[in-house]
Amino acid sequence: MKGTGMNVRQLPVIVGLLVVAVALLLAAGCGGDKPAPETDADTMGTGQPVETVPEPVTPEAPAQPVPARDYAAMDPAEYGVEDVFFAYDKYDLDDVAMATLAQNARIFNEHPDVAVLIEGHCDERGTVEYNLALGEKRAKAVRDYLVSLGMGSSRVRVTSYGESRPFALGSDEAAWAKNRRAHFARP
Amino acid sequence: MLPVLRRTASVLLVCILAAAAFGQNVPDVTLGVTKTAYAKIDLEVGTLDVLSGGLPAVEAAQQLESILRQDLAFSGLFRVNSTESGPAGEARRYEFAIRGSVEGPLRDAAQTGESEPTTVSFDLVTHPGGQLMLNKRYRPLPSQLRSTAHHFANQVVETLTGEPGIALTRIVFSRGSGDRRDLWVVDYDGEGLLRLTANRTLNLCPAWKPDGSEIAFTSYHDGMQGLFSLDTATGRVRQVIAHEGLNLGANWHPDGTEMLVSLSQSGDPEIYRVSPQGKVLRRLTAMPSIEISPSWDPAGRDLVFTSDRTGSPQLYVVDGDGAGRRRLTFEGQYNDSAAWSPNGERIVYATREQTITQLVLIRATGEERRMLTDQRWRNCEDPSWAPDGRHVVFASDRSGVFKLYVMDVVEGDVRQLTFGKEPDITPAWSHH
Repeated sequence: MKGTGMNVRQLPVIVGLLVVAVALLLAAGCGGDKPAPETDADTMGTGQPVETVPEPVTPEAPAQPVPARDYAAMDPAEYGVEDVFFAYDKYDLDDVAMATLAQNARIFNEHPDVAVLIEGHCDERGTVEYNLALGEKRAKAVRDYLVSLGMGSSRVRVTSYGESRPFALGSDEAAWAKNRRAHFARP
Repeated sequence: MLPVLRRTASVLLVCILAAAAFGQNVPDVTLGVTKTAYAKIDLEVGTLDVLSGGLPAVEAAQQLESILRQDLAFSGLFRVNSTESGPAGEARRYEFAIRGSVEGPLRDAAQTGESEPTTVSFDLVTHPGGQLMLNKRYRPLPSQLRSTAHHFANQVVETLTGEPGIALTRIVFSRGSGDRRDLWVVDYDGEGLLRLTANRTLNLCPAWKPDGSEIAFTSYHDGMQGLFSLDTATGRVRQVIAHEGLNLGANWHPDGTEMLVSLSQSGDPEIYRVSPQGKVLRRLTAMPSIEISPSWDPAGRDLVFTSDRTGSPQLYVVDGDGAGRRRLTFEGQYNDSAAWSPNGERIVYATREQTITQLVLIRATGEERRMLTDQRWRNCEDPSWAPDGRHVVFASDRSGVFKLYVMDVVEGDVRQLTFGKEPDITPAWSHH
């Protein structure tokens, strides 16, 4: 993408369009067994996902090049990765979690060089040690699902903070629900 | 002076007395925590005589007496005379008495700039009669008066009961919130608070090596968990083990040569025996479930741990080879954080009722389950035994934030150990 001059801030939009495009391909029966054709991301915004005419790439770098964003130095949330939430004392993935992870998997596939740390978190109820174990179960459930979607396991590390690093303070279900999560962090 | 929170313990006491009355076929030595419930020793602590020295000697005498009284009261073993004169105090007959004297330094530290030792002499005598049972002499510097009083209190406990005193023990715990929790240590009476780590991350679940020379604990490095050990003499921290995943819940073998730890390198948390250098000696569990929180029995033969193999966390016991598994808890949907008492008789653990975590005491055989706390206490977690097998330290958020409390499990008395706004969790009581 470096040479295309694409404004990488549009990445989430582009990723979204890519999703739509893939869906269109599948709906049109063009997907099937064969992978979607390689497309230049820069043309995705033109609404012409199938027939693409790559624009000529300028051989010379612009005078003021836009530096490629260093995704490895960014928090995953900054490029569109979303956290996954769990039910009380559970570490299995519900439909919402699986949809979120499918979306995350697409983003990670866009950035094959980026590694990620999945942190398991729990609400404050229960004991410190058991919650550390439960948090790890959650993080591993998320890792395993991402691997099942094609993400290389070597790119994913898991850790658990149990109940020690809550995202929301408070002792009610609203806070607890926010704290039962697998959080994607920079390793 | 620490506030002593006296809970209504009459029901508890009645239960213990009933158990003691019906348990007369049990040898006295195994009665353990119930033994002293009906056998408090009446003890008179006299005012220490100041034989020489000025105001510093008078203050030293007052401090020594005050600490000694508090230690003897905290032990739960004595009825100590009141310092306030009154009919209740005078009416009681004392079995033993402590007499003491202080000889202050000839020179005043404020003038010389040097601290001089005080000579302290304590006698424990029968009362009446005055037969000498114990005499101790000390020459402490002013900064050593606290430990001097603690030492003599321990001597009194050991002389009169044969049990170890706990007045010189300490409690290590984790304090903080958010990204940072540091290990702190505090004397058993709440004095001498000291921070041990300052590494800007989470430090949790400390565990004393039985000789007190090291504290194993779980921490994080670059976001990944590892087991570390802090040298209590030098403050130096070394990494013990850092496998992928959990490196949690260290518990030293009573002989100090190895420890139990939960590792999830195989996928799920399992219990392992590892050397102090982190070498895996033996894997004790192999289940597709959570196996955590191991605690050796004081003989170092069996261990109790938590497993959710049935779908909810319950306590199990296995031997040191991982064999002979038996389930210990059948009541409650969530039982964890077991700690085996120093006399081997009982196990204290945390159970969750609805959404509140409470403490339970149970025989190591699984019988005589009784609640130590109730819902007024909000959550009570992470119990750890004092070496006397009578006191348990735990974390409770009854004040709105987790702080440490000490319970006399015989009497039901509870006193708050730590104060302040920062949460205090995962306490561990030193063995000496």
